[in-house]
Amino acid sequence: MVRDLFTFAGFNENSQIVWFKIIYSKEPGSLSLITDFLEKKNAFIMFGHLDNITQKTGEYSVFTELNKDVDPEDFALKIKELEVVNEVEYGISEYGMVYSVDFPLNVIGVRGVMARALTIVDIIKTLNQSAPHAEGLLTISGLKGGTHAAKYFKSILDLNDSNFANMLAELFKGVGWGILEIECDPRTYEGRIIVKDSFIADVYGESDQPVCAFMSGYFAGYLTEYFGKNISVREVSCKATGKEFCEHIISPAPSGGTSQEYQLRGEMR
Amino acid sequence: MIKQPNVILGNDELLVTMGKKGDIIGFFYPRRDHAQHVEESLACIHTGERLLWTNDNEWNGIQNYVEDTNIVSTKLYHDSGIRISILDLVHPDVPVLIRRFKIQSQKKLSGKFFYYSNFNVGETSKKNSGFCDIDTHLLVQYWQNYHIGIYSQPEFTEWQIGKAMDTIWWTNSKYDMEDGKLQRNKEDIGNINNAAGWDLDLEADGANEFVILIGAASSRRLLYKRMQELSKLPLEYIFEKTREHWVMWLSRKQVIKIPGLEEYDNLRQELFNAYNRALLMLYLLNDREYGSFVAAPEFDSNFEKCGGYGFCWNRDAAEIVLALKHSGYPEYCDMFFKWCIQTQLSDGSWFQRYWLNGDIAPSWGNFEYSTQIDETGSTLYAMDVYYRILEGLKKAEFLEEVWVSVLRAAEYLMKRTKSGIHESCMDLWETYYGIFTYTNASIYAGLMGASHLAEENGEAGMARRWKKRAEFIKQATIDRFWLQEGYFAKGVINEKLDKTIDASILGTYVPFGMLSPKDPIEKDMIQFMIDNIQKKLSVPVNRGYGIKRYENDSYINGNPWIVTTLWLSEAMFAFALDLPYEKASFAPTLSTHENSYEKEENPEEEVKTLTNEGIKCLKWALAGATSTGLLPEQVDQSTGNPAWAIPLGWSGSLILNNILLLDKICRRKAGNSE
Repeated sequence: MVRDLFTFAGFNENSQIVWFKIIYSKEPGSLSLITDFLEKKNAFIMFGHLDNITQKTGEYSVFTELNKDVDPEDFALKIKELEVVNEVEYGISEYGMVYSVDFPLNVIGVRGVMARALTIVDIIKTLNQSAPHAEGLLTISGLKGGTHAAKYFKSILDLNDSNFANMLAELFKGVGWGILEIECDPRTYEGRIIVKDSFIADVYGESDQPVCAFMSGYFAGYLTEYFGKNISVREVSCKATGKEFCEHIISPAPSGGTSQEYQLRGEMR
Repeated sequence: MIKQPNVILGNDELLVTMGKKGDIIGFFYPRRDHAQHVEESLACIHTGERLLWTNDNEWNGIQNYVEDTNIVSTKLYHDSGIRISILDLVHPDVPVLIRRFKIQSQKKLSGKFFYYSNFNVGETSKKNSGFCDIDTHLLVQYWQNYHIGIYSQPEFTEWQIGKAMDTIWWTNSKYDMEDGKLQRNKEDIGNINNAAGWDLDLEADGANEFVILIGAASSRRLLYKRMQELSKLPLEYIFEKTREHWVMWLSRKQVIKIPGLEEYDNLRQELFNAYNRALLMLYLLNDREYGSFVAAPEFDSNFEKCGGYGFCWNRDAAEIVLALKHSGYPEYCDMFFKWCIQTQLSDGSWFQRYWLNGDIAPSWGNFEYSTQIDETGSTLYAMDVYYRILEGLKKAEFLEEVWVSVLRAAEYLMKRTKSGIHESCMDLWETYYGIFTYTNASIYAGLMGASHLAEENGEAGMARRWKKRAEFIKQATIDRFWLQEGYFAKGVINEKLDKTIDASILGTYVPFGMLSPKDPIEKDMIQFMIDNIQKKLSVPVNRGYGIKRYENDSYINGNPWIVTTLWLSEAMFAFALDLPYEKASFAPTLSTHENSYEKEENPEEEVKTLTNEGIKCLKWALAGATSTGLLPEQVDQSTGNPAWAIPLGWSGSLILNNILLLDKICRRKAGNSE
């Protein structure tokens, strides 16, 4: 999902963070040769990523911490001299904060970005405070994201009743949105989703009303796309209102038009 | 979200603005300024697999007007081989937009044709109510006494009324179309949207037609009646009636010939087209009941990036009615000045801007220091120009009608110009507070006009007094603002002389005539101003040069404006006409100015140069128009595309003035001065 991205915990004045993208011949032991060489030269491997490009070659992206006095270009040339190595690229993270080898980032098949949770929550908060129909607007925005996620999963694997919930949970955990516990009956389309540590509720601050409409919309989009049937998801309990976790209820959307209780904001809500 | 139109159409009660691909952006009923009932309204096709929105980038489009009418043709082409031809017209007598969609496909197509609308009836998304009457096949949305309805031929077979922005998203008509079928909900309230659907089954190279009527009315009964009556008429008949209406209206125009432009490829025809288009456009900006004009159809009603344009400014409207008068439509002056009498403030001035019905509009000019005195000057000046062309009884009646208003306005100008230049107020660009060359010139013209009207009314004392003040203003403006560099300073801002060159200083010559080419010194001053503006404010774009408002202008990227460019060319043409035509002469020495120079001139050569330079400006302005020929306020300096307010009435009035002046020059040159 996120390739060749590195976030650094601190900054050491005496060292430099250097990444190498190494294209190598995939022969038995060739990767060990590369890592042994790095270790021997005191290049501290902080993060490595393997990509099997073809049957014959592979790509190994590695972030290293080198002494300040090591010339990265010279070091890259030395790596290239190894018998199993075809090509080497390198780069330096000057400030040692966050660095990615490839730009732009890729999240479930499309461009992704990293942001602080508060950056997104500030947008949500501003909408809630200023825009009419903010909850509807956020629901519809989330709906689009969830629909895309399900479409993407369907395109790369067999999304079925045994894995659709786990895939969603894994995605949420991977992107840092929250920890999900999903109960959903594929026959009745009913169930609930518990969200622990929802990134919205966590940083939103106290609120009288549930604040995760964007997430409800995302779940609705995902489930609607997966089931091929309109699914309603509404947040009935939210951490921002003082609850332990957020809870979203799943139910099939009423069909055959809008029923009166929806128009008049009756029990269904 | 700000969306600029590419085309407008309408009748006396309805003004519709549309994007390049036939998507409705604005639907103003019953006035041009209020209420705007549409957030979105457009067609889309479900191919059986997915929805194709007609305003999507996947479509290529060509849009133009049917010649000499406000009937619009939009042709859309999709890579998949689908082609949509849209014909849009507004019935001349009733506020109903008629949209004919002809859909063709190269391949066999089995899907749906949908027409989607998000109406904000009454210009609000709140408390709307919508329903589908399946007996009459009418979709209706209403708020208070505004009713908007959709009817179609053939009748739609499915529909949806849903929530436009809500957590119960599955009722949303926009979403509902995505699976290719509508839920047929019959009614809803709140912020709602609607969609109508038809089966679309086409063989390869087959075609199908759908006619959609979008009507407005003040009651449900009237809406039903209108739609029923119109549905009985064949589209061909309505088209012909509408075409005839516009052609007949245009037939009253002042005839132009513009002979002798052979060296400029197709320019003559382009000017004929631009002349007609400006007239047809101004018709649509005018309120027939009140006589006022919107500066442009509103496109930024939330004032997100500007103060909005859907209001009437006396400055703009005075220019427009005079241009229309010169073009053969004097009745607009009559109506506008009646409106002015009604809207004049108790102190004799006019407000920054008004709603078309005369109510004062949202303003950032509520105080004496922030008002725009030039608007009072412009109004008085325009009243006098109109009076001068009237004849007989009409002349006397007009004077009788406006006299009290003239008296009050003139006294207001007297009160605010005791020192010979005006007291601090806001400039015409509505950006700076201070004392301005342009404003002083407009006050000069206003008082001179008032003086003439007073004289005509037998008030010689007043006439003398106002004239004396006007001359005092002229002298003070020249003494204090004329610079040795050869142009007027913009004015005094923050108590300092601001030497920024501002195109509006042309106002000292055109339209306000404070400087006269008949005076040798003033003639050279005009020439210097023209040269300096051309030199310092030219922006290269569209293989020519447009004129920006002033140095360091930052409003909407400091683009060149159609208004300032056509203002410059108008000055050039007027100057060419003011020069002695037959006999060569020598220009006098400007001995009173430090930057004076002695120049031998050949008037014939000068006329030729001025005319050619003016034509360059004209051509530049026409190149900045929309594909439908509408003139915007600005031209984007990086893309050369029309920018910001589209169409702008002031740009329209200036193109009329320019073409009429060029016509005069060409006729004179051709020895045909009829």
